[in-house]
Amino acid sequence: MNDRVLVVGHGPAAHRLVHRLRALGHTGPLTVLGRPGTHHGLATAVLTGALPPDAADLPAHPAGTAEVHHVRAVRIDRARHAVHADDGTVHRYDTLVLATGARPRRPGPHLGGDVRALRAPARSAVGDGPVAVLGSGPYAVEAALALRRTGRDTVLVHPGERLLDGLLDPDAADLLAVRLAAAGVDLRPGRTAVEHLPGTLVLDDGEALPADTLLFDTGLRPTTDLARAAGLAVHRAVTVDALLRTSDPAVHALGDCADAPGDGWEQAEALARLLTGATPRLRPGPVTRLPAADTLAIGTPGDGDQQLTLRDPARGRYAALGLRGERIVSASIVGLPRAVAAVTQLHDRDLPVPADRLALLLGTPAALPGAAEPGPDTVVCHCATVTRRTLATAWHAGACDPAALTAATRAGSGCGGCAGELRALCQAFAREDPAAPGTGAVPAARTRPRTEQPV
Amino acid sequence: MTRTLVVAGHGMVGHRLVEDLRSHDRTDAWHVIVLAEESVPAYDRVALSSRVDGRGADSLSLAGPAFLADPAVDLRLSTAAVAVDRAARTVHCSDGTRLRYDALVLATGARPFVPPVPGHDLPGCHRYRTLDDVDSIRAAARPGRAGVVIGGGLLGLEAANALRLLGMEPHVVELAPRLMPVQVDDGGGAVLARLIGELGVRLHLATATTAIDAGPDGRVAAVRLGDGTRIDTPLVVFSAGVRPRDELARDAGLPVGERGGVLVDTHCRTADPRIWAIGDCAAVDGRCYGLVAPGYRMAETVTAQLVGLDPAPFPGADTATRLKLLGVDVASLGDAHATTPGAIEFATTDTRAGTYRKLVLAPDGHTLLGAILAGDASEYGALRASLVHH
Repeated sequence: MNDRVLVVGHGPAAHRLVHRLRALGHTGPLTVLGRPGTHHGLATAVLTGALPPDAADLPAHPAGTAEVHHVRAVRIDRARHAVHADDGTVHRYDTLVLATGARPRRPGPHLGGDVRALRAPARSAVGDGPVAVLGSGPYAVEAALALRRTGRDTVLVHPGERLLDGLLDPDAADLLAVRLAAAGVDLRPGRTAVEHLPGTLVLDDGEALPADTLLFDTGLRPTTDLARAAGLAVHRAVTVDALLRTSDPAVHALGDCADAPGDGWEQAEALARLLTGATPRLRPGPVTRLPAADTLAIGTPGDGDQQLTLRDPARGRYAALGLRGERIVSASIVGLPRAVAAVTQLHDRDLPVPADRLALLLGTPAALPGAAEPGPDTVVCHCATVTRRTLATAWHAGACDPAALTAATRAGSGCGGCAGELRALCQAFAREDPAAPGTGAVPAARTRPRTEQPV
Repeated sequence: MTRTLVVAGHGMVGHRLVEDLRSHDRTDAWHVIVLAEESVPAYDRVALSSRVDGRGADSLSLAGPAFLADPAVDLRLSTAAVAVDRAARTVHCSDGTRLRYDALVLATGARPFVPPVPGHDLPGCHRYRTLDDVDSIRAAARPGRAGVVIGGGLLGLEAANALRLLGMEPHVVELAPRLMPVQVDDGGGAVLARLIGELGVRLHLATATTAIDAGPDGRVAAVRLGDGTRIDTPLVVFSAGVRPRDELARDAGLPVGERGGVLVDTHCRTADPRIWAIGDCAAVDGRCYGLVAPGYRMAETVTAQLVGLDPAPFPGADTATRLKLLGVDVASLGDAHATTPGAIEFATTDTRAGTYRKLVLAPDGHTLLGAILAGDASEYGALRASLVHH
């Protein structure tokens, strides 16, 4: 608890780790080297213009955290437990955490004009013209859907057959494509981009698509130079064990630079627990949420001893759940927002599924965990620990849509699991508004500025 | 005055009709002549497999002493109906007699479909429908040798189990990619295939039988499949579905269904007001069921009409089926393939327990339309009771 913890890298995983270490009672020195990144989860809102660019900035660290922004770590001296920075400073550690992240892999050499990586800080909204998105992963799908919903002509180009391949099972992926198409996103599966000229994207089959802006999420290149130079085991990424330890037990790695199960968010939680003496829980497989598409993917499709499958083709709904014992180990859900919410909560809290699994997947209210009427102190966003009361205050102060609530309170800036609840709360507050006593300072609803945010 | 009812066929459904009628016809208004093609009275065809381990025909017989002694019932064994003269209201029988009828019920059943592959009629090729079929299979069985069942439906699996009980090494050839394709889906088929495999039955799915080869003695020696497999075997059993026996009706100028079967309405009436058709030979509104339970419902409907009760129409299909062989428990109920518009499917596959369960629900999410159970069909009764018919 009193160890010196040094974190190299300052992206969302590093940020989460620092917050969780303090929250779990770490009292020793805590230093972060590197310029703070932005929140990946809010990049889409910045690109569509729903949020200003600074809304995606990571929030301030808890008091007592040493942040060294202007330096870059250049060398690890494992023997002396020290990291040398490019300004000549030396930072000593008992525990070193590598969170050096990854760089987006560019899709091809012939791409010019307004071309942006989706997994890089979003610094401005894209124009109103047509947008082409390259990639089949969650960032590409989410961006395509969000941009289309703001009225931009959007085409999604990916070389494989399916979206979220390996994350969603094939039936769910096919249904997700149907939903995107229904929302007006043009789909070009099995295609790659060969050239982007101003205003035009040319595909490998010769098709020319109008595209003022090109967004891509076509893979990551883990940043491993520091680890490699220090003689740590590195394969594709930094090799770690189940406790996120590298080949040197005093050095951990997490996030996009590490070859670890789960996503950076979960890894940060697990490592914070480990370093503070709590029981770490690192679940296998990633958790992918696409709230805008009512889609959830957990783990590797098909994992588990028991598979539950709900097919409702007439209504475009599908859910597959893999259980080990009573616990959720995999999920592919499309078009069932209540099941997405309930399964997310059960998985997050490692709770057993209820006996009525059909009700769980269909979203029959009785099956939702904690379905009792929420009070003002009910925590809505578990990542940022934001209560309903805090959200109500922010809403009455003018933050009237989910993106604005996120910017004002940080709710929804973490795993994104409460996105549905934020939407529902906005509607609920709006219903309660005319009879809201004790909010005298609040301007009348009709004069309150509202950001257009289709949901 | 006593009227004459001729029942053409003494299978399970024909027998049920006569029993039903006799229990409702308190004034003996009807004299019943039953034409039985086989040499024995009606028997429980569903339990045919139990004949394999040597149970006598008597234990399967449905006709008790009271039935056989009933003076109002004239059961004529080994006598088939060969023609119907509707104008004269007579039935011509295979023994040369002519019977005048006031009412005629066709209950001629179905015959096994034998695919026209080369060698299908060689000695050593069998069917699996009658007691005689089972007796001839028992006589032809060669313990330790392979036996090939063509058709992986309910009856085919029964036949395969029969061959296993006779000491043979059964193979099942099925054109569809799964066993019992009519009753179960891919999930149920996977569990079923594993369980059947554990019984020592070799499966050849998604492949056709291309030829049956004769040996030097002119008997079956091998079966060749579309996937190139060749199985050396002295014995082949065909169970590739059945075809309704509707010739009497066709020849008498009565309409038949598009895919065969005597065309009847929901009261099992043919186009001729004096002629009904029930069981496997009947196509109710064009559909043949091929199961005993719907046949029984048809028999009840016709009985009610004959005795002047309020004729409840055939209530539709209870096509629920359950296969229970040693260690294999599979059931299918109602709309198992979710063909109802807007139907929702909810399936559970348990790889540890080796079970599969699928419920088919109405768009409301809780009204049961159908189900498939494999590996554990203990819910069969409860689900069947809560099934909604459309």
